[in-house]
Amino acid sequence: MTAPNEKEPKSAGVVGKSISRSDGVAKVLGTARYVDDLPALPGEIHGATVRSPVPRGRIRSVRFDPSFDWSDVIVVQASDVPVNVVALIADDQPVLAAKQVNHAYEPIVLLACADRRKLTLAKLAVHLDIEPLVPVLDVATALEGSNVVWTAPAGFGEPNTNVVKRYVLTKGEVDVDAELARCAHVLSGAYSTHHQEQLYIEPQGVLSWWDDDGVHLVGSMQCPFYVHKALVKAFALEPHQVDVAQAVTGGGFGGKEEYPSILAIHAALLSRKSGRPVRMIYDRTEDIEATTKRHPCLCEITTGCDADGTLRVLKMRVVMDAGAYVTLTPVVLSRGLLHAAGTYRWPNVFMEAIAVATNTPPNGAFRGFGAPQTIWAIERHMDALAAYLGTDPMVLKRKNVLVEGDTTATGQLLRTSVSSLECLDKGSSASRYVERRAEIEKENRRRAQRGERKRLGIGASIFMHGAGFTGSGERVLQGKAAVDLLPGGRLRIRTASTDIGQGTETVFRQIASDACGVAVEDIDFAVPSTKVVPNSGPTVASRTVMVVGSVVEACAREIGDRVKTEQVEQGGTFAEAADRLLVKEGSVTALHQYEPPPFVHWDDEAYKGDAYPCFAWMCDVAEVEVDLDTFETDVKKLYLIGDVGKAIHPTMCKGQLEGGSLQAMGWALFEEVVWKDGLIQNPRMTNYIIPTALDAPVFDTTLVECPFPYGPGGGAKGIGELPMDGGAPAIAAAVEHATGIAVHHLPLTPERLFEASLGRLSPTSTFHPAA
Amino acid sequence: MTIADLSSMLFDRVRDLSALCTRVGELSDEGIPFVLLAGGTDWMVEQEMREPLASDVFPTVIDVSQMGELRGIRLDGDILRIGAATRYLEMRRHPAVLERAPLLERMARDVGAIQIQARGTLGGNIATGSPAADGVAALAAFDALVVVKSRRGERHIPLSELQTGYKTSTRAPDEIIVAIEIYLPSRNATWFWRKVGTRKAQAISKVALAAIAEVQGGQVVRCGLGMASVAPVTALLPRTRELFLSTRLDAIDDFMIDKCVESDIQPITDVRSTGPYRLHVAKAVVREFARSLGAA
Repeated sequence: MTAPNEKEPKSAGVVGKSISRSDGVAKVLGTARYVDDLPALPGEIHGATVRSPVPRGRIRSVRFDPSFDWSDVIVVQASDVPVNVVALIADDQPVLAAKQVNHAYEPIVLLACADRRKLTLAKLAVHLDIEPLVPVLDVATALEGSNVVWTAPAGFGEPNTNVVKRYVLTKGEVDVDAELARCAHVLSGAYSTHHQEQLYIEPQGVLSWWDDDGVHLVGSMQCPFYVHKALVKAFALEPHQVDVAQAVTGGGFGGKEEYPSILAIHAALLSRKSGRPVRMIYDRTEDIEATTKRHPCLCEITTGCDADGTLRVLKMRVVMDAGAYVTLTPVVLSRGLLHAAGTYRWPNVFMEAIAVATNTPPNGAFRGFGAPQTIWAIERHMDALAAYLGTDPMVLKRKNVLVEGDTTATGQLLRTSVSSLECLDKGSSASRYVERRAEIEKENRRRAQRGERKRLGIGASIFMHGAGFTGSGERVLQGKAAVDLLPGGRLRIRTASTDIGQGTETVFRQIASDACGVAVEDIDFAVPSTKVVPNSGPTVASRTVMVVGSVVEACAREIGDRVKTEQVEQGGTFAEAADRLLVKEGSVTALHQYEPPPFVHWDDEAYKGDAYPCFAWMCDVAEVEVDLDTFETDVKKLYLIGDVGKAIHPTMCKGQLEGGSLQAMGWALFEEVVWKDGLIQNPRMTNYIIPTALDAPVFDTTLVECPFPYGPGGGAKGIGELPMDGGAPAIAAAVEHATGIAVHHLPLTPERLFEASLGRLSPTSTFHPAA
Repeated sequence: MTIADLSSMLFDRVRDLSALCTRVGELSDEGIPFVLLAGGTDWMVEQEMREPLASDVFPTVIDVSQMGELRGIRLDGDILRIGAATRYLEMRRHPAVLERAPLLERMARDVGAIQIQARGTLGGNIATGSPAADGVAALAAFDALVVVKSRRGERHIPLSELQTGYKTSTRAPDEIIVAIEIYLPSRNATWFWRKVGTRKAQAISKVALAAIAEVQGGQVVRCGLGMASVAPVTALLPRTRELFLSTRLDAIDDFMIDKCVESDIQPITDVRSTGPYRLHVAKAVVREFARSLGAA
């Protein structure tokens, strides 16, 4: 690793060095301006949202208290929306509810006022008369289907049911039940996961105004072109009439993938009606209540294996809770399904994945995007199978782990950059897994004899994450990026990939620098604004570095080559040659489009083929200490072995693995959205508990570099989501080792471990804490 | 739900304690709502969470956080007097607390974040009356006296007689909490603090136990217990305390402890935890305390 301020010779390779972050100084000094920090525009007013207090009901009337002075309050209702649809996949979500509400906190009325205090009083002066309807609040009831709460838009879902999406994935023998009957051992289990709130540090917020050109919007977001598309649709505008720019953004984790679209429309509606700029900033409670969360998921698994533990059959059903509208659920469900077989070799597979609608706020994108849910299930099942076979889980996993030349559940041939075995072995050796297991068991016996009440445990998980859009997604998307040559031999990178704290700006500049020989200090990063940057696709799916980064690399290489050619022909420095070229050509820009590797073929109909161009692989080993009186779990150490292809910026790369693992730990141990009658009981940071620095384990992180030939910077793979996938099962395995309690349902809160210790919580007895 | 109200409220400071008594007395007489602002760590949160107020009911806010007579820590023989507006951080650093009442130092470390400790006060903790208050649990273990003052004069309320129910107390509305007085246990007394929250810090207690005991020849001769978050008030566990005081340590077993704790509290299920878990943990931490004394 290089010290951040070490002076590198100009144009020396910077990929692989942990240079200073380009956004670091402004953020540390507090000069970075988030949307709430932007100076007020002339005449600017504040916007607020009146939301449904019930999970399902018919809107009888909306009454505005006649004793309230409404003269300086702007009111927007569904009838004010030109096209009352939030454009996404199924277009089933209204911008504002008109006749019916389908989840608590659904927006019904928008208000704006210059006086913030009056705005809060105005919200109280809106009286909603809603006839409650019986809601469906959990997956089991939704699947049972006697109360249908969702209307399938044309071409979506299954009519007269709550089923929003269904996929079937098969491999090998058609009759898996017959194949199961031929297996030496058959084991079944059910595994579930719960909601998770992204809890980015900066709540959602936007600022919107209109002028002769159309609508302008600045906000906290991951995907400016998603917001652009939503504004075009809702206001029936031409694309050039909509200008969306990202403000400095304080985290997203998927929570600012699709949600900013609806908030942007709300602010634009108020702005259009008032003729004034409108800023809408959610407070933490509104943000937790109204915005998307991780999809709860139930997985039922039956597996068959040979007497020696060789896996033969995987039969699995994945059920996810979409919430009240489709949003991104089909894609989340797909990614969940495509990771559900884990890192194992299965000759025969039958998997069904179903998403159902419920009367809860729509669930959406969250780091991992369905994969943490299904990897939790398969890893816990493998641990259960190991226990059933009387073998160590790591031995069973190693025996069956995918290696180069194997095919995945979708029949994808693993051609290159397959390091699952290497990660697993490095995980074992780094943690001294076998020795520690023995030492810990000895220590636990000693503690038991002395009447001590804490127990140690060690557990592991092995997992992968497919980088980039699923299947044919990248081919359809045609992500673009551009690099401009500027006077003095400087460059400007233009992409729609947003830096939301993960370091995009820095890493793109490193990639471009090495591709063209221009020092990182001489490379600018354009603010992602739809007027300025090409559509690189969204900042999601671990695709920024691997996909968009490779396009940036191609653009920078082209510019570098053109300037160097000029240099060879006419002499002078790089800067002089650049200036000559600019004089000659007026402007010099390289614009490239992403081209997936030629071998990537995906069949959407059959659900077979190359689900992803490549996978990043990882092994987690957790050491925990569990208090047998209070059932508190203290994660003492987390060994992280991650194959990232090539670490462009090793410190940030490790930061992604460690931060993602801490988020996984929070999901596993602390975080729980408490529901009552469809309403969230803990919408605050004081009672929605995430880990703090004090709860963080000691990390022992190893970056494995098994390059992906098509990745930028010498083989980088996407790793943003990877660490979210395996933390929970590793911790649960360690807790099981410490206590003997095999938990199949997240979260592993002390209360649930306590119940499980009494035998009250059987492994399959609960799912979805909605009550 | 609005911090916006703050700008409309009348913020006031008075010269000294006697002026404060007069002012509070007048406000009470006139039926004007008022708030004494010490650390503000609860009150500010409440302002953010509640519905906006109609302007005619804004309380008068009297900032007492800087009032000298309410601040400071004084050791007088075996009596430790802590001003009501003394901050947790000051308690953590005060030599008399560190030497004679380490339980208070240990408890204060677990209160919120460092920013909260730098503002929060014991007086505020008592005034807001939350049964989850770590500070009040610790004072209960010491059988502390709460010194209150009004125009009518000063009186000492034993902590055990202060709380009457969820956030209700025997303190009159015009009585100002001035200080807390603790009759310190002997220097070799055993103290115990155990907070069980959802994470290691910055979490409101699911269960917290503060306890002190003086043991002479295998017999507990002074004992105080305070438990947070298991009842509508800070739980004093009277039967458990009686067990410790009435039975030789070598004769106290887990079963006896469990029986007493079960009869002392019936904790509820709320957003933070469940009743059965709380009862289980309450018993476990009392047993841990008993073991630290050398019980069977």
